[in-house]
Amino acid sequence: MKKKIGVYICHCGGNISDYVDVEQVRKAVENEPGVFLAKTTMFACADSNQKEMVEDIAAQHLDGVVVASCSPKLHLITFRAVTERAGLNKYNYVHANIREQVSWAHSDNKPGATEKAIRIVKSAIAKVNRSESLEPVKVSATKAVAVIGAGVAGMRAAIELAEAGSEVYLIEREHFVGGRVAQFDDLCVSTETGKTLVTRLYDEVMKHKHVTLFTGAEVIETSGSVGNFNLKVKVVPRYIELRCKEHQLQDAIDVCPVQVPDEFNFNITMRKAIYHNYPSEYPQLPAIDIKNCTRCGECEKVCENINFDQKTEYLNLKVGSILLATGFDPYEPKRGEFGYGEIENVVTLPQFKRIMHYSKDKLMYRGKQIKHIAYIYCVGSRQVDGENKYCSRYCCTATIHSAVTAKNKFKDIYNYHFNRGIRTYGKQEVLYDESSRKGDIYLQSFEDAPPVVEKKGDKTIVKITDILTNNKELEVEADLVVLVTGMVPRKENSIAGLLKVPKGRDNFFNEIHMKLRPVETVIDGITIAGASQGPKNIMESMNSALSAATKSFSIVNAGELALEPTVAKIDKENCEWCGKCDEACPYSAFTKIEYNGKFIAEVNETICKGCGMCLPVCDTNAIELIGFTDKEVESMIDALV
Amino acid sequence: MEAGKVNNSPKILVFSTEKISDPAIDMAGLLKLHYPPTVYTIPVPCSSAVKPKWILHALEQGFDGVFIAADGTDCPYGESCTEKTAQVMTATQQLMKDKGIDPARLKMAAICSVCSEPFVKHVKSFTEYLKKPSN
Amino acid sequence: MPEQKETLEYDVLVVGGGIAGGESALNLANIGYKVLLLEKELTIGGKMILLSKVFPTLDCAACITTPKVSEISRHPNITIFTSTVAKKINKIAEHRFEAVILKKPRYVNVPDCTGCQLCEEACPVSVTDQYQYGLVGRKAAYIPFSIASPRAAAIDIDNCTLCGACERACPTKCIDFTQTEEEYLVKVKSVVVATGFNLFDPLKIPRYGFGKFKNVITSMQMERQLAPTRPFNTILRPGDGKMPDNIAYVLCTGSRDKTVGNPICSQICCMYSIKQAQLLMGALPMADITIYYLHIRAFGKGFNEFYAQAQDMGVEFVKGKVGKITENEDGNLILRYEDIESGVVKEAEHDMVVLSVGVLPNMEISETFENKNLELDPFNFVGQPDILASPAKTSIEGVFVAGTASGPMDIPDSILSGGAASAETTSYLRRASL
Repeated sequence: MKKKIGVYICHCGGNISDYVDVEQVRKAVENEPGVFLAKTTMFACADSNQKEMVEDIAAQHLDGVVVASCSPKLHLITFRAVTERAGLNKYNYVHANIREQVSWAHSDNKPGATEKAIRIVKSAIAKVNRSESLEPVKVSATKAVAVIGAGVAGMRAAIELAEAGSEVYLIEREHFVGGRVAQFDDLCVSTETGKTLVTRLYDEVMKHKHVTLFTGAEVIETSGSVGNFNLKVKVVPRYIELRCKEHQLQDAIDVCPVQVPDEFNFNITMRKAIYHNYPSEYPQLPAIDIKNCTRCGECEKVCENINFDQKTEYLNLKVGSILLATGFDPYEPKRGEFGYGEIENVVTLPQFKRIMHYSKDKLMYRGKQIKHIAYIYCVGSRQVDGENKYCSRYCCTATIHSAVTAKNKFKDIYNYHFNRGIRTYGKQEVLYDESSRKGDIYLQSFEDAPPVVEKKGDKTIVKITDILTNNKELEVEADLVVLVTGMVPRKENSIAGLLKVPKGRDNFFNEIHMKLRPVETVIDGITIAGASQGPKNIMESMNSALSAATKSFSIVNAGELALEPTVAKIDKENCEWCGKCDEACPYSAFTKIEYNGKFIAEVNETICKGCGMCLPVCDTNAIELIGFTDKEVESMIDALV
Repeated sequence: MEAGKVNNSPKILVFSTEKISDPAIDMAGLLKLHYPPTVYTIPVPCSSAVKPKWILHALEQGFDGVFIAADGTDCPYGESCTEKTAQVMTATQQLMKDKGIDPARLKMAAICSVCSEPFVKHVKSFTEYLKKPSN
Repeated sequence: MPEQKETLEYDVLVVGGGIAGGESALNLANIGYKVLLLEKELTIGGKMILLSKVFPTLDCAACITTPKVSEISRHPNITIFTSTVAKKINKIAEHRFEAVILKKPRYVNVPDCTGCQLCEEACPVSVTDQYQYGLVGRKAAYIPFSIASPRAAAIDIDNCTLCGACERACPTKCIDFTQTEEEYLVKVKSVVVATGFNLFDPLKIPRYGFGKFKNVITSMQMERQLAPTRPFNTILRPGDGKMPDNIAYVLCTGSRDKTVGNPICSQICCMYSIKQAQLLMGALPMADITIYYLHIRAFGKGFNEFYAQAQDMGVEFVKGKVGKITENEDGNLILRYEDIESGVVKEAEHDMVVLSVGVLPNMEISETFENKNLELDPFNFVGQPDILASPAKTSIEGVFVAGTASGPMDIPDSILSGGAASAETTSYLRRASL
């Protein structure tokens, strides 16, 4: 219990004192236990009063302070700062809200308002009597960030973090960097191609001595918390030595007898077991796909740098923050969905882009020239029956861009867009306008009546009830049907499971708050970037990558983190580990430890957010939340009754 | 006499939440939406942090009713809040029954950060309920 | 002549105190840089602080903005100048910029003002309230709105009669009519342009009758009617104060329209209209809401689900272009539109029409740069020469762009863009120190 509490009751220039008799409140509380001085003030928040409070606290050695004024949302922090300036620990300050919840709410009942104000101030005094000085939980932070995924978002974030002054580990599961953008040629709103963008970013990554790139690398174990995460990384070998001779490598690729579908080209082409995705790929060193390699030894005969003795390595990294930029998968249509997998000239948009890449003057697919192209939008997005209710955001623009590119690049191209309402938002609108001017045909249906693709003899027909022409039944004979497949979350995303990153309804990573904290997760120290958080185009991914880099950097930059000390506390004697608190905790802040020959729960103060969800579930009442202990809450209740 | 009016009105303790429902209660004041001054608020971080023990303490010490102004789905600590707050409700009402306290003296509703009007409606109708002589 | 004040020095000058500029300033300040934040209005928080709720989460805009705004205004590394514009900015050398800024007098000593509103009560002058978008009046001595930051009074000197009533009413004697314009020279190492956007003025489309028919309002006016700091405490049509029960939204007002010189989509109007429709259904349960649209651009995270929710709630979506609006004697409005599904021109009667006005560039900032050219894109937004790898970079090295200054975007995108601008500024500043 305290002996020297100072109480300040604010008039708020009449906002309070017009309805609450502040002098009566002062008299009613001045003899409460522990109260040393009780004053009224015209404006508690005014500089002059703040100065007076600082003098009182310092000169009178006050050990607790209550200000009864407006809502704590406005001035709790102001007055905590006042007590700190006076040398009193700020947790000995309690705020009483007698404006929003008293004088204004009860301006129709002055005696009632005054009585309520008295009780509220008394309850604040009761609370401050039981409050304790607290120090922030200090955690040292390792000045290094792990960036998971070396697509364009991950690379951009890594460059930014290194430029800002952090050590960066860029961890890529594939043998090559660039992610999905490496699979793109021409890009919208830019003269750049996907490959040149990847090259530019890769060059910058390699230039930075503070970025270490690991390819073929995957995080397999994690521990620790914000400031100090430990990652165990598995790095699989390429089976090819560095500094190899280029022509020998090409020879090695040539002699390899194994042919497997090339995933980089969405299986429309084949590749060898020793491969790279495209000639100038980064890193410019091929890899051996050991799963498909028959170990026939042909490559070793023509190339001295093949080394099958390379072993899988395990690294332990320590970082202060983790930035996830694990990207997306293109939606894979089900067999039979708009004829996919059954009708041979039905392909996906990513495949179409690769088909364009491999065509020269004429657009060719499976040996036939393509002239009439039907694009079916929203495949795997905005599903009526399926799980994916969301819009994939980038595909309308990407499709129109591809259609316009096809028209510019090849002769005799006719585009038919079977859409559900074109969403070329913002400046992308001009592209839609351009395609319409170039004669592209747009046909639209609603969600409930999608177009139908069918085979009639050797012809592929797309049918639609077009709402743009008074619901006419229209048919188009197409040489190629392109299914505009949306973005879906990465199927294989083990790191998310290891770190328990929360996912949204759409199964993409979930941010804490779309507007307040769009790149942070509820797990302190873990940020999310790019399409791992939801569909985005390249520019939007970059913005989110740069934002995430800033957040991760500010975590590791100071070298030390100060966390709120208002966390859960275990009564060791009363705790009989039952695990209910662990189940209730949304942050996994509890661990089971041994204590005096029994098992009890322990709170990790750096993880606990002080929500208190664990409090009511404890059967033995062995958990208290600092600032909301039973004594504090019950004494407040006693004062209010 | 107005003071008499104050004393006759049932006392309600509201557990509000610092980030969601307490701002709504603040805004009720800002908008001068009046409600009985016998409604008192203790803000906590999250509505699923309210211990049944606290509720029983309030009812036993003389509060006529306890109202949990829950975060609902807006809870900054995650979506499980709704379910967990409901569990607190159920558990407490069971304890109340065991002690012979009318379980309807505990009420809960989700109050979003701008739900000032719903808040006032809730506490007014709760007050009316508690006023009935049988309660 | 404005009063010449001393020279100020900071690491970064952020022009614009809306949500994007605020995010940039906060990130930079958290890393340890000293930031000067300029805001031409009386309050920071930009357009967002005036909004009702935000899509698609329907959380209250003020509830999101105010904590951020108070974090910005309390931050020891951020200095805020409200009522202040950048007159000119020159790049002297790499990492050396000089700006001349002009601070207009508020006639109130902000640190002493407690926001008690007694001056407002005392002031005899009533004028149109720009922060309520003309829906109601305010005094010449006024607090912009209850959640303004700083929440301090200001004197609208153009309308003030200098009667002195406010001075007499003020308990802290903070009103000071001797204040004059102040000019400062500011030296900084880097500049963030976060000057936001302008709303399309529907007077430019006379056939919609805005300004002539009282019950044709803009979406921003509806936003104010729905906001927690709203003027009427309910939804009213301005013509006669009747509660509307059949409201129409006209999308693409001033967007995707070459005849008004704006060919691009404004990116936010579909969603804010859908949001308002949902809020209206809550506020006026008996009202019918019809949205006239060309394409619904529900592209962001959770947007399409939000659109579907509005359809389930009973909001009617009509694919059609509104050609002309006329007024009946009772103040109701007749919309003549091309119904795209049937291909027929139709008419419909509504008792209130909301024009979903679009986003236009705020071009002034490019003229502020004197010796270097801040290039604009074809639509007069700030150009992004490396849009794919460095979206925040502008044509001037060391000048970065945040938020809607570079094009239409919603709040999450503006905040991400603000984050990107702060990241690029950080690495630019770091190069200065190496």
